[in-house]
Amino acid sequence: MTSPLTTGADARTRKGPGGVALSLALLPALAVVLILFGGGFALGIVQALGYLPGAGLGEWSLAHFARVLSDPDFLHSFLLTLYIAGASTVIAAGISIPAALGLASLSKRSRVIHFIFQMPLTVPHLVIAIAVMFMLAPAGLLSRAATGAGWIASPADFPLLINDAWGIGIILTYVWKEIPFITLMLLAVLRHTGRDLLDVGRTLKADAWQRFRYITLPIIFPALGAASLIVFAYTFGAFEVPFLLGQTYPMTLPVWAYKHYSDIDLMARPEGIATGIVIALVVMAAVILAQVLTKAARKRGLIA
Amino acid sequence: MGELDLKNLRIDYGARMIIRDFNLAVRNGEMMSLLGPSGAGKTTILKAIAGLLAPAAGDILIDGQSVRDVPPEKRDAVMVFQKPLLFPFMNVAQNIGFGLRMQGQPGREARRHIGAILALTQLEGLEHRKVHELSGGQQQRVALARALVLKPSVLLLDEPLSNLDANLRQRMRELIQTIQSETRMTMLFVTHDQSEALMISHRVALLLEGRLRQVGAPRELFYQPADPEVARFFGGRNFFQGHVRDGKLHSDLGVFPVGPQNGNGHVRTATIRPEDIRIAPRATGQSRGLRGRVVKTRFEGSSTRVVVACGANEVMVLTPEDAFRPGQEVEITVPPEKIRLFPGD
Amino acid sequence: MKKSSRRFFGSIVGATVGLPFLSLVLWSFAERWFYPALWPQAWGLRAWRYITSTAGFQVMTAIGHSVVVAAVTAAIAVVIAVPAGRALGQYDFKGKDLVSVLLTLPIIVPPLCVAMGLHLWFIRLGLAETYAGVIGVHLTFCLPYAIFVLWGVFANYNPDFEDQARSLGASRAVVMARVMLPMILPGISVAALFAFLLSWSQYLSTLIIGGGRVTTLPVLLFALMGSGDRPVAAAVSLVFVAPAFIALLFSARHLGNRSLAGVR
Repeated sequence: MTSPLTTGADARTRKGPGGVALSLALLPALAVVLILFGGGFALGIVQALGYLPGAGLGEWSLAHFARVLSDPDFLHSFLLTLYIAGASTVIAAGISIPAALGLASLSKRSRVIHFIFQMPLTVPHLVIAIAVMFMLAPAGLLSRAATGAGWIASPADFPLLINDAWGIGIILTYVWKEIPFITLMLLAVLRHTGRDLLDVGRTLKADAWQRFRYITLPIIFPALGAASLIVFAYTFGAFEVPFLLGQTYPMTLPVWAYKHYSDIDLMARPEGIATGIVIALVVMAAVILAQVLTKAARKRGLIA
Repeated sequence: MGELDLKNLRIDYGARMIIRDFNLAVRNGEMMSLLGPSGAGKTTILKAIAGLLAPAAGDILIDGQSVRDVPPEKRDAVMVFQKPLLFPFMNVAQNIGFGLRMQGQPGREARRHIGAILALTQLEGLEHRKVHELSGGQQQRVALARALVLKPSVLLLDEPLSNLDANLRQRMRELIQTIQSETRMTMLFVTHDQSEALMISHRVALLLEGRLRQVGAPRELFYQPADPEVARFFGGRNFFQGHVRDGKLHSDLGVFPVGPQNGNGHVRTATIRPEDIRIAPRATGQSRGLRGRVVKTRFEGSSTRVVVACGANEVMVLTPEDAFRPGQEVEITVPPEKIRLFPGD
Repeated sequence: MKKSSRRFFGSIVGATVGLPFLSLVLWSFAERWFYPALWPQAWGLRAWRYITSTAGFQVMTAIGHSVVVAAVTAAIAVVIAVPAGRALGQYDFKGKDLVSVLLTLPIIVPPLCVAMGLHLWFIRLGLAETYAGVIGVHLTFCLPYAIFVLWGVFANYNPDFEDQARSLGASRAVVMARVMLPMILPGISVAALFAFLLSWSQYLSTLIIGGGRVTTLPVLLFALMGSGDRPVAAAVSLVFVAPAFIALLFSARHLGNRSLAGVR
């Protein structure tokens, strides 16, 4: 597995300056990742497996996982989370492709458009979730505009767009936030290798659609896949947006996990952690599945 | 068929005129070099022919048909770029088959064509290689094969050898020549290397400062340059002026017969190539040579460049002998039949 | 792109990005704004005054907490990431793939999962409800991002410049400070920006590890949303995005157009 952020080979790599120097350079980074991240993850698993000496739980068991997985609400939450993450990723990726092509064809002088386009990157999810709430709530800006236009008579007539069953507000928030992320990843690749190969394609008889299908798409595919995976992983495990804009039942998995974790009943805490572990496992499985599918498709010549 | 006609082509870049009044006719089955120093606008012309760049004025005809309004993908001219620009996500065979696939050619037929081209470009056995596993020469051959397989009326080659080292360059040059003589494909070959142009082509078109200076067979450009700048481009030195009287050029370097057709009573410019001048140490006896003194020498291996001061003139001589030293008294002989007299205005 | 289609593209981008901010700005200046009015019936500075007044000192405290946590996290992340990024970008070595996987995991595994696991351990160590604890949990994902940025930077970095400087008489330390550092400075800025913004917008892991003690801006904002005072929530939201905008302006001025690719 290669990292999602460094697709393609490094420009110039040399043989090492010696194992000791390399180890020293990497040691602090690996220490932080292994101790803080690895430790946190491992302790999470330990606690989810019921080993919690301080709280009088000293038995190893799969009971917490079993209880989480057998909870009828779990399947609801899981499917809802999968739907929200999947829809957000697919929509954002789908819009990002034409957006990246559009930005790539803009001259570098159109700095204003570039600048505006980058703004959502730096905006915290929480802020945009609040703004979406102000806009899409039953008495929000959109509803007021609709009333003004005479389409609806009262907030009650306005379609439910936040705290709704379809997670429309949540998905809109994610799409708004993630389009620039995916687009800029694609743009970096397009700027790097785009123009010349398209010219070659033109003289080799490829029309506009064929140039997109057989040249542009293969060029951006690795970056698109990596960026989409990161977006999927994030939206599957994020708490703020569904907590603010989601409905009270069913909750998304992260909200569900935190609800258990913060329950006054300390016995519910391991269940919360177990849910968190399940989320992590699903995300990792998605990444591995994507790798396997990519490899298989490559083997069969479906993609490059 | 594969005739290419460029008529009164003008190409602008922003407000700058890069190419003006460009006329060139490439014959069917011809290998024509477009020669010029870097920055002369050669690539620009190729891109205009390929359709990647729109000329500001003039017309481009392939087989007598104007292609000004034909998009690049529909033009019967394929371009091979300076860099191989292989599609990195395809293997060798997929790269070569790209154009056929775009035209919707069925797989079996395409495979047959690809196989033939692989043999022609000496790439057999490499068809399943990834492009980054290829050497520079192999990559450029794939780029060439990718264009050849489409059998275009006109093949446009934009300095395809300039990124290769000298040895490989020579082999590739021969390969292209062989392919050209076997396929009789019309080719327009852009290069800045004069010896490459002279070696490879049937005719050479010399482009200097955005204008076509001379078109002709390699020997014609070399031995009968149209003007001093063309001569200078092909390594010409020793430009001198003289007065024409009675079919003879009277100059500081001597009196040379130039034929009766050259107008009497005019001052004309002439040149003699450094390698055509004979040089010898000054003999004590009588001689018919010009007397001079060696100013400086430059050893170049198989030959030595000697600058000789003859009165007010400095003459450059290229000799196979490494026998001259600065300050030495020498005698040079200018063979009259090697003198090139430039036409007057 | 033609001028007309550029206009069209630009206005779609502008409207899509701008609309949410417009609604926040309107709410933050709204004194009275009842349904179904499209504009506030009365404008005022109540929300903004609240933020800067003594009553709103918790807002200032929260900004302080957020700045300290994000700045320290970013600084530590960059200091650790530079040698690691150099090792990964410049050299091939055994186990590089494994390191790459190890660094990818914290990026895809949600922080809430790690924070829950760390919580109990941090309580034992006395790190819970402290700056150090919060910075620690933020580092788990900020550091890998910073490393990936600098990995990319060093992959395109030509070490021949260093050899050239050495042969011109510069010592190893001088080469690092006067040759390498200036060349990778844009990359370092982006990495720092990345880490800062990631930490700055982090909510749940801060809440779990920091408890109620390390109230950063997002923690406070959530509380305000609960209280239902929309104008104040809108104003605090705008304060919350301010450093991001400053960062963006900085990057547009100094780092060129595409330097933010990869920022989350």
